[in-house]
Amino acid sequence: MKKRLLIANRSEIAIRIIRSAHKLGMLAVVFQSDREPDALYLRYADEIIPSRDAGNEKSIFLDPERIVLLANEHNIDLIHPGYGFLSENPDFAALCVTNGINFIGPSPELIRDMGLKTVAKSMAIKEGLPLVPGSDGPVKDAEAAKVFADKIGYPVILKASAGGGGRGMRIVEKAETIERHFKSASDEALAAFGNGDMFIEKYLQNPKHLEFQILGDKHGNVIHLGERECSLQRKHQKLLEEAPSASVTPQMRKEMGDMAVRFAKAIGYYSAGTIEYIMDEDGSYYFMEMNTRIQVEHPVTEMITGVDLVDWQIKVALGEQLTIKQEDVIISGWAIECRVNTEDPQNRFAPQTGLIDKIHFPQDKSIRIETGVQSGSVVTPYFDSMIAKIIVHGDNRADVIQKTLTALYEFSLLGLKTTIPFCRTVLQHPEFINASYTTRWVDQVYTPEMLENDDDEMIGALAATIMYASEYLQLSSDLPTYKNDSLNVWVLNKRLNY
Amino acid sequence: MGTSYIYKRDASRLFIALRDTGKRFKIYIPKESRPVVDGEEKDIDFVEQEDFHYAFDWKGKRFHCELVSRDQNKAVIKVNGVEYKYSLESLFSYIRHGMIDKDGKQINENNIISPMPGKIVDIFLSEGDLVNEGEPILSLEAMKMQNEITATCNGVIRKIHVIPGQSIMKDELMVEVTSIDL
Repeated sequence: MKKRLLIANRSEIAIRIIRSAHKLGMLAVVFQSDREPDALYLRYADEIIPSRDAGNEKSIFLDPERIVLLANEHNIDLIHPGYGFLSENPDFAALCVTNGINFIGPSPELIRDMGLKTVAKSMAIKEGLPLVPGSDGPVKDAEAAKVFADKIGYPVILKASAGGGGRGMRIVEKAETIERHFKSASDEALAAFGNGDMFIEKYLQNPKHLEFQILGDKHGNVIHLGERECSLQRKHQKLLEEAPSASVTPQMRKEMGDMAVRFAKAIGYYSAGTIEYIMDEDGSYYFMEMNTRIQVEHPVTEMITGVDLVDWQIKVALGEQLTIKQEDVIISGWAIECRVNTEDPQNRFAPQTGLIDKIHFPQDKSIRIETGVQSGSVVTPYFDSMIAKIIVHGDNRADVIQKTLTALYEFSLLGLKTTIPFCRTVLQHPEFINASYTTRWVDQVYTPEMLENDDDEMIGALAATIMYASEYLQLSSDLPTYKNDSLNVWVLNKRLNY
Repeated sequence: MGTSYIYKRDASRLFIALRDTGKRFKIYIPKESRPVVDGEEKDIDFVEQEDFHYAFDWKGKRFHCELVSRDQNKAVIKVNGVEYKYSLESLFSYIRHGMIDKDGKQINENNIISPMPGKIVDIFLSEGDLVNEGEPILSLEAMKMQNEITATCNGVIRKIHVIPGQSIMKDELMVEVTSIDL
């Protein structure tokens, strides 16, 4: 009998997982949420479980008990959580396990440990991973802060132990001001949280976000599949990713990758996972955290390594042994992923909802499209604004940048605004082209005016003029000076007869 | 009449699109050739048209334009996913609003004044016509020679003060021309 794999997720990642399930000869089962009963992914599934979540406070995808209940009712063998939602919820993973369902991911214990930053960091320290230099606990007073800052170097960031939302937080550029900043931040924290304890940490002004893809099995084998650079972010939301990173030399790749593998092995990790590093301008890097799920940007790694990560997640869950050895992993070419988010890059990335009148994706052997929508789909306010991903492979970085730009010009979506014009702007920006961009790019460099270009502006003027001209000539046809013999006909024709 | 001139007669096909940034486009939409933008014929193909969606091909790329909103003569157009705001005017309303007339002197310089005494043989254009720089406006016979008097700018014929057969003196105003070289 075919195994039954339930996907506790939606949109493009559901379709992506269905593909792997089918490849491995399984039946793919999905939930139908009342919040989007006509979603595209439903058409790819072998079986649909109606969730009847219309009246519920939470959608089915955030309801562990109901998911497991329905899974049991439908004789589900495995659950793939995708990303987001419950993918890194240890209680959900544990609930699956106790109900005899194979959860596709690492053990619930590791999901829990990696989710607690302090636990993850202490495990990382134990394995010798570098962490951003900082005080282990609160520093006593301004004097002690200064001594510590002098040791790790400026700039430093002072953080209230009980802090949040930017309160009780100060970036200190030089020794002369640390005392003043410490006092004001500490006072602020005391007033806001009733606790004036302050931590101190080295502040990376222009960091890069790098992450290593890890793949492990239940037999102790772990490999890494190189890094991705995800520095292009807005409010910690990634917008465009590439693999490999131009900031990682082969030497560093080996060092950082081996370190990630060593860590994963030490903690007994299996399934796909990601070790995140933050990298300073001088090339020094520090462990940030580990993600225990498949990531949105996993296709860039698949494009350059030829390894199907979702296939392996499923096979590992079934107890299969990794057949790929570290030395088999060869990085070939370069890949870029552009996220199609229905957000308005001209207006602070405000989410856009409504009907997609028409969507057209570029097509080429070097292009991979992952989409959760099609023409006529409706983007609702209930879920994430990411509707699709355009992933492009090239021979090298310059080649893939060019190919991606061409692909983005072939993409069109009528009805809603998306982040694709933003991606076009990024791909043409000198700081992206020379790979010096950092996580601060959107805040410090980007302005909506950068989305505009002379050609588009001129074509827009032409389109506006044609629209206006057709009406204008009708309105003013009685005026003697205007000879409107055929412009109306010409414009109303389906084509212009040039 | 030379066909190589960019502007054909019909001044009602000339429009001004003004962006919110102040940038101005002078757009002439001929009947049977490609659009002329700021005096230059553009190699643009109009490939698709639905109610609020136009697509053009230019420079090997597809340009999708969507009408986002429209209020009187103001339009917001989304081009390849980015919105641009324009206000639109016909050439005539543009002139009426005095946006060209503010430099009165320049307009006078474009008027056609008789360079010598003579007789009007023929007038090739009518009031309201567009005229190209260097294009003959009328023929003036003087000393048994026919002289073609040409436009000194791209413009629109505002008023014709003479008729064929009429004799005129030197420095007489024959034709008023308003420049469209904005």
